[in-house]
Amino acid sequence: MFTRHVSRKLAAYVDGQLAQSKAQQTEIHLRKCPDCRAECEQIKWGMAIVEHLPSAEAPEAIWSSIEAALQENRSRLTPAVPRWRLAFALAAALALASAAYWRFAHLTGTQWEVATVDGSPSVNEKPLRGDGQIGAGEWIETDARSRATVKVGEIGSVDVEPNTRVRVVKTRPGEHRLALARGEIRAKISAPPKLFFVDTPAGTAVDMGCEYTLSTGDDGFCILHVSKGWVSFQSNGLESLVPAGASCRTRPKASPGIPYFDDARESMKRALEDFGSGSLTTILSESRVRDTLTLWHLLSRVEAGDRARVFDRIAALTPVPAGVSREKALNLDTETLNRWKEELAWTW
Amino acid sequence: MFRLGIVACAVGVAFAQGFTFTIGSPVASQDFRSKVAVFVLRTDGCADPTKSEVGGTAEGIMNGTRKSVALRVAATSKPGVYAVYQTWPNEGRWVVNLKGTCSDMNAGAIVPVGPNGFIRESSKFFARPATEAEIETSLKALTQGGNK
Repeated sequence: MFTRHVSRKLAAYVDGQLAQSKAQQTEIHLRKCPDCRAECEQIKWGMAIVEHLPSAEAPEAIWSSIEAALQENRSRLTPAVPRWRLAFALAAALALASAAYWRFAHLTGTQWEVATVDGSPSVNEKPLRGDGQIGAGEWIETDARSRATVKVGEIGSVDVEPNTRVRVVKTRPGEHRLALARGEIRAKISAPPKLFFVDTPAGTAVDMGCEYTLSTGDDGFCILHVSKGWVSFQSNGLESLVPAGASCRTRPKASPGIPYFDDARESMKRALEDFGSGSLTTILSESRVRDTLTLWHLLSRVEAGDRARVFDRIAALTPVPAGVSREKALNLDTETLNRWKEELAWTW
Repeated sequence: MFRLGIVACAVGVAFAQGFTFTIGSPVASQDFRSKVAVFVLRTDGCADPTKSEVGGTAEGIMNGTRKSVALRVAATSKPGVYAVYQTWPNEGRWVVNLKGTCSDMNAGAIVPVGPNGFIRESSKFFARPATEAEIETSLKALTQGGNK
């Protein structure tokens, strides 16, 4: 529909650097194009984050390097070299050195704040007294009586519940990643999707703008419960989308569990736990309209021979929207399934 | 001429369907900023959703007193999809009274809200703004029937 997207102009547009006519063209396009509008929002958010980054002082070593470079340049300079060229070269060298230092200091080694909530949690096996900081590669551990909370950069917080062991994996602005070895965490994230990740033995929880609880037992089973927004749980190249009010239980080294609403009938939930042993009939017969969340996921997980039964059950619960054909859905056409999911989500 | 025909058909379908709202949980908007909304809504049957306008009030009863509170309705990243945020107190019983326009068409809805969020099954939709009597009836039903 839109042949000329404005992705390349968005950064300049947000920064107010576009000429008036081009800015107007971009605005007109943004009003009509949801994709570019979403991208524009992400750029605005990214710029807001950058504006909040603390400024870092350049290290002393930079000045001695610059002085050395100056001496070298002076000895090589002939009177014919204009002064502005020298000034320009120096400014460029300083900018490069500052950028390199900023990158080193802020992108690879950001520390997060961690605070004791109850008892005596530990960071890297050392007791945490009050508040502290934690960086990539370090572990937080709580016992039966302790709890801690971690401020995840600028995007949210994670509560570490009792009997939990969790490691900070990455603390970059574009990738905030934890690894939950055991126990339970509660995440409250306010950021564009796919900036916060939690690895577990059963898969990875990818934040899509949400609040959720994630727990892992010693057996590696993982249970995800989402209270706001939604989470994508991924493993073995597959994903389950878990919206607010729904949960997902995943075995280690298996495909992500099929999500279900917490208010679903108990018989259906039990059948989902035993899924694979002839429990499909129960799941289909016990499902309500909003359980199309579960059925939509089942469509691509059941044997090809059972797919039509799942399709027919969804179609019986809620009208199949325009653009979704039975044939394409049964062939697991990605575009068709996504179109259907977007429509079904209005019943979830 | 062919193009004109297509446009005419599209407008015809929109009018045939009528201008109305579809409500859903925030996840339906696919916009992370809506996650704290009470619910989201979509305008259906509007030929140009970017030109639809939606607003309304929260109508409630607190300690036996009738209250009316302005609503916060925000557009999401999808044209024609809006998020409704809570502007009313947690105490009391409340319904959301929605009003929308698209060109010369009107739509209205009454969406009851309980402690667990909006109540889809008891929501009512109209091809016009809801009347005072309809709002009072919904509030009365919410008070008598308890909350979900």
